[in-house]
Amino acid sequence: MLDIIRFILAAVLTAGGLFCLLSGVVGVYKFRYALSRVHAAALLDTVGILLMLLGVIIATGFTVASAKMLVVIAFLWLTSPVSGHLIGRMEVTINDELDKDAEVLDKAYVEHEKEPEAAVQSPAEASESTASAEEEEVQ
Amino acid sequence: MTEAYNVLYTISLVVIGVLLLACLIRAIRGPRIADRVIAINMMGTLIVITICILSFLMNEGYLVDIAMIYTMLSFLAVVLLTKVYMGIYREKHRREEEKKHA
Repeated sequence: MLDIIRFILAAVLTAGGLFCLLSGVVGVYKFRYALSRVHAAALLDTVGILLMLLGVIIATGFTVASAKMLVVIAFLWLTSPVSGHLIGRMEVTINDELDKDAEVLDKAYVEHEKEPEAAVQSPAEASESTASAEEEEVQ
Repeated sequence: MTEAYNVLYTISLVVIGVLLLACLIRAIRGPRIADRVIAINMMGTLIVITICILSFLMNEGYLVDIAMIYTMLSFLAVVLLTKVYMGIYREKHRREEEKKHA
């Protein structure tokens, strides 16, 4: 009886995980631009792997291998936001015609990403940094 | 009971294989570099899931170690690729600026 409950639990988790994986891949095909595709890919890295590996952990039982699977989930949860951020930053930096593909709200940031050394010495940036320094002194 | 698990995980392995092929097509078609990096990242995640399922089906605990190392390597690959492409772009940008001023 307990075995059957365990199997049903694992099957439900695996089915949910497969649905998340499928919707992530479909999203990568449906979205038009790379910055939107990061959003679909993140679904796969978080919920997809959590449900699939939880299903495998329940099927395996409590062993050293299942503890290692938990470590894999934790590591992916820590690194997936970082890699998504890095991919978005790369796209913003190397796309010369970002205006055509997406709506750009902060143009100064894009310029700063393109040439970090030059943007730091620009007058607007410098006045901002001194203003924030003054605020800190007041506090 | 073992047969039921076999059927369940064989079906999920087949589905994951199809999804891997779809990701590979996205990585080849692009069209931008970011699309390719995203597709490679997704493929890494799918392969980690595949290895974990195989470690259960074949009853070999050590395969999960390989999955752990694969996660770290795929993260490192994304970090390196983005850094390299940003460095190349900045170098090109700087040279063009110098050419304009000269």
